[in-house]
Amino acid sequence: MVVLCAFIAGITFAQAKAPAKNWTPPKTAWGDPDIQGVWTSDDSFGVPFERPHVYGNRKFLTDEEFAEREKENKLLASSIEAGVTPNAGYWRQHEGVDYQPYSSSWSEYARQTSRQTSLIVDPEDGRLPELTQQALMLRLAAIAASRRKPRPESWEDINMFGRCITRGVLGSMLPVMYGNGTDILQSPGLVVIRYEMIHETRIVPIDPPGHPHPHLSAGLRAYMGDPRGHWEGNTLVVETTNFIGGRVGIGADGAGLKYSEDLRLVERFTRMSDRSIQYAVTVSDPKTFTAPWTVEFPITQEPGYQIYEYACHEGNYAMADILSGARAEEAKEGAQPAAK
Amino acid sequence: MRGKKTRVRNRFAIIVGAVLLVAAAPVRAHHSFSAEFDGNKPVKLQGTVTKMEWINPHSWIHIDVKGDDGKVTNWMVECGAPNVLFRRGISKNSVTTGMEIIVDGYRAKDGSNKANGKDVMFTDGRKLFLGTSGSGAPGDAPEK
Amino acid sequence: MQVRSISLIAVAGWLAFALPALHGQAYRAPRAADGHADLSGIWEALNTANWGLEDHSPQAGPMWQTGAIGAEPAGQGVVEGGAIPYLPAALEERKSNFANRRTNDPEAKCYLPGIPRANYMPYPFQIVQSPRGILFVYEYASANRLINMGKPVEPVSDTWMGTSNGHWEGDTLVIEVTGFNGLAWFDRAGDFASDKLHVVERFTRTDRDHLQYEAAIEDPSVFSRPWKISMPLYRRVEKDAQLLEFKCVEFAEELLYGQYKKK
Repeated sequence: MVVLCAFIAGITFAQAKAPAKNWTPPKTAWGDPDIQGVWTSDDSFGVPFERPHVYGNRKFLTDEEFAEREKENKLLASSIEAGVTPNAGYWRQHEGVDYQPYSSSWSEYARQTSRQTSLIVDPEDGRLPELTQQALMLRLAAIAASRRKPRPESWEDINMFGRCITRGVLGSMLPVMYGNGTDILQSPGLVVIRYEMIHETRIVPIDPPGHPHPHLSAGLRAYMGDPRGHWEGNTLVVETTNFIGGRVGIGADGAGLKYSEDLRLVERFTRMSDRSIQYAVTVSDPKTFTAPWTVEFPITQEPGYQIYEYACHEGNYAMADILSGARAEEAKEGAQPAAK
Repeated sequence: MRGKKTRVRNRFAIIVGAVLLVAAAPVRAHHSFSAEFDGNKPVKLQGTVTKMEWINPHSWIHIDVKGDDGKVTNWMVECGAPNVLFRRGISKNSVTTGMEIIVDGYRAKDGSNKANGKDVMFTDGRKLFLGTSGSGAPGDAPEK
Repeated sequence: MQVRSISLIAVAGWLAFALPALHGQAYRAPRAADGHADLSGIWEALNTANWGLEDHSPQAGPMWQTGAIGAEPAGQGVVEGGAIPYLPAALEERKSNFANRRTNDPEAKCYLPGIPRANYMPYPFQIVQSPRGILFVYEYASANRLINMGKPVEPVSDTWMGTSNGHWEGDTLVIEVTGFNGLAWFDRAGDFASDKLHVVERFTRTDRDHLQYEAAIEDPSVFSRPWKISMPLYRRVEKDAQLLEFKCVEFAEELLYGQYKKK
């Protein structure tokens, strides 16, 4: 039974990788594959980043599991439209937690349910490879340091997204509760990828294959790195290096384990239909991970979906509020000596 | 090649791994709620809108709340990202100066007159930020 | 000898005819993929408009600690007619802005620069002409704006960079910008407008490496009449010119949040 499921899953996966037979990939006026439009990862929100052990090496849900997830997505969608908060997804009641601060009006939702068991598709088990010793030590030191600091002392104790500086490249693509819009524009020799949240824009120069334009020198680093692109058939391949290391995480919104300056991303954008692009990114960071790993999921067009200005830093009342809240708590504690 | 060293490292990795990473589905909004607001200080406010800031990362409604003593205090209420709301058909005319609204939320940790707007309603109980889904979004610029 | 002088006269005659024609001929920009004048590339202003739109003599900056580096240089104004026509109350606000510029200039806080200021910040920007619209990507603070080249759209809300609707008038790109939040400044001297600001920009390529930029400014709550700025923009001609990143938020945090830091 498991073998049969795996076989079917394998076929489905193979089919998912190829566009429909009688569909012609569109081209721009100058003959490049056309991947322009506003694309969102909303449909993959809720798919675990790392595969839960229970799925083993299985890339896709069974029909039963899929039906469960689809039911939950539909419940979320209808609850959001009705302005009620469902006992599902983010709002699922957890023991010991009696308040849920964000109403459903904060959230966007999937239009089509994903079959993936995880966003990570390689290695086989859908989980991150082992960390290097160096990365483990750094992470443990960071955890210890944050335990010594129960409250943020300054903005440096807030993550880069909370500071409205950056989410990093991977963090800008991984789906979250809202703001998953990616705007792709093309002109001869260029592809521009523009994200809604924090309005970061990557200008990717396109080189003929085999003639890569050299990257910036090692001394010039950027939070979004330095991208170089080329076409492989219908697929846009973007190689990005020159990242600033040690400050941004590799997870959604740039959270989680921080990558090093040796990070190298290879992204692939392949248009599969009028409505979807298959997005894949292979992450190599030999200082942090003992092997490269790949994330893959579709990004899709939703009718009427626009991206708007997201002037994050300009409206970041929360920063001042969080820090003043921390100082207020400290003052209160100072007024009452800690009970031992 | 599994020697003792690898096993120790694996166990280490498993212990650390649990604490390590990325929320499997990082659902939190822009900031951690508990860093800014106090879940033990619920508030219920009724007031008149004086200003609406359709800003990021979160929008903020300013309301004048009349206390039992007749004194008026101005509160700021944090709501969702306007981009989400605009995509759902909410427009800048959905919240206007002079509107009477009710807020269910949690007070700011620093004790100021700020609250997270968990639920924002009209006085008749209708939710404020109700709207149709994506296809009803404002602006008829067709997406390619 | 006679043949040579006849040739010389012939050449001189030809030049007399040809030169004026060559001189009077307007530059015609090459075509972009959209069939219109090609404005794409990396451009930058080479003046002191960001210090002050009007004429300004050198003066001390707000912090003596940075010595001559923080001082304001001399600059010829870019305002047609010389002075910005402020209403009396607005002029007082401009003076107050200037007095408090160290803390109140949105540039000091790394806030988005708005229009027209984004186009004459001392950082390059790139124009990308795509079928989805014309994108302006500014190196400063990751600012950018997409010019809608289809049917004009109304602003959905008030923003820092406004809502830009563009169309072509011959080889000139005309952009109408509205829907501002009134929080951006025009320069470091405190020049400003309100959320009623209405800007009409014109970008014309005058030769291979120059654009002529004009912006007509209108805001009846701040100015007694509409006024205009104009300046050339220069192409960054370095062989490997590309935009870099200037994410200045981390340089502005001490200024913005220093009072909330743990002592």
